[in-house]
Amino acid sequence: MAGLTRTEALRLIDASFPREPVIVNVGAAIREMVAAVGVKSNHLHVLDSMGLPPAIGLGLSLGLAESRFEKVVTIEGDGGLLMGLSALSTIGMLRPEKLVLIVLDNGAYGSTGGQPTAAETTDFSAIGRACGIEARDVESGAGLREALEEARSLHVPVLIRARIGPESARTPYFLEDPAVLADAFRRFLRGEAPVA
Amino acid sequence: MAEPDERSRAVIAGLEKIDPQYVLHLPSSTLVHIINHLAARPNTLTFPIPREEEGVGILAGLELAGARAVAVIQDNGIGNLLTALTTFPIAYHIPQFYVVSRRGGLGEYNSMIHAICEKVEPILDAAGVRYFTLDGRVPIADWESTITRAYEYSRVTRRPVMVLCNLMGG
Repeated sequence: MAGLTRTEALRLIDASFPREPVIVNVGAAIREMVAAVGVKSNHLHVLDSMGLPPAIGLGLSLGLAESRFEKVVTIEGDGGLLMGLSALSTIGMLRPEKLVLIVLDNGAYGSTGGQPTAAETTDFSAIGRACGIEARDVESGAGLREALEEARSLHVPVLIRARIGPESARTPYFLEDPAVLADAFRRFLRGEAPVA
Repeated sequence: MAEPDERSRAVIAGLEKIDPQYVLHLPSSTLVHIINHLAARPNTLTFPIPREEEGVGILAGLELAGARAVAVIQDNGIGNLLTALTTFPIAYHIPQFYVVSRRGGLGEYNSMIHAICEKVEPILDAAGVRYFTLDGRVPIADWESTITRAYEYSRVTRRPVMVLCNLMGG
């Protein structure tokens, strides 16, 4: 049993990258992130596009290569990564040095009732390395914190696979208009003031 | 290798006006001249994507970052990208631009590909995806401007826009 919960992992990610762009993957992760740290303009909440966050993070990190941001953080689940696994190959090919992809691996589809994924027999870090991505495995809060700090200093794409527990926190639905979310995130990227 | 025909040259001319910083492409025999031209373009990062929906995500990230990006794909992959397209760039009002080569119909040599390609326009209509069509009914003189104006239309209306180009003669 992993000693790290999803909420703890999300808090650590936010604390490590409080002013960098962070893409938050669907469902439970968004609700727990919002419950833990609020709705932040540097967070892009991808409400219902399972499997897409690594590709979005890849595009964003390419487009922000010359920007003021040190890193572009992308959070994905194990089920989501399995759905968009090909993005690892494209990331390895293009090597966006600001991309930090964090895989919160609970071995289950956490937002839909905990059905098992194939993560138990899938070595995400080995796949990442085989694609040319620097990869780390962590199973504790201290390990995740250390890996996040290390990622900040690396000038290559990084995958951090964080083993988390199966539990999901009880949180309300997050029902903001996606167009509003995208506009707020764009304003953050441009350094513009948020809409009041 | 054969020279690009006038339809491919017109599409290339339109894309040159857009001056993309990034070009994403999927393999297509009908798009080979366009892809080869873009791949040789200085100051443009042209790269392959393995699946259409991955391209939707990459394009969206590039657009959010303020980059000029286009995707060059073939219409038999339209079915792959619909969920990603509708749940992300359409829902989030993120402009995207796709040049889509048509298959099936007059000039087609494949015995199967029409099964999806002939249905592409009603599929896109049903999904609410805006597209413009370039084929033998459109004077070649209008192709370049249609490409550039469709790109601008995607920016103005903050949504994905496609140009369906028949490069096979139909």
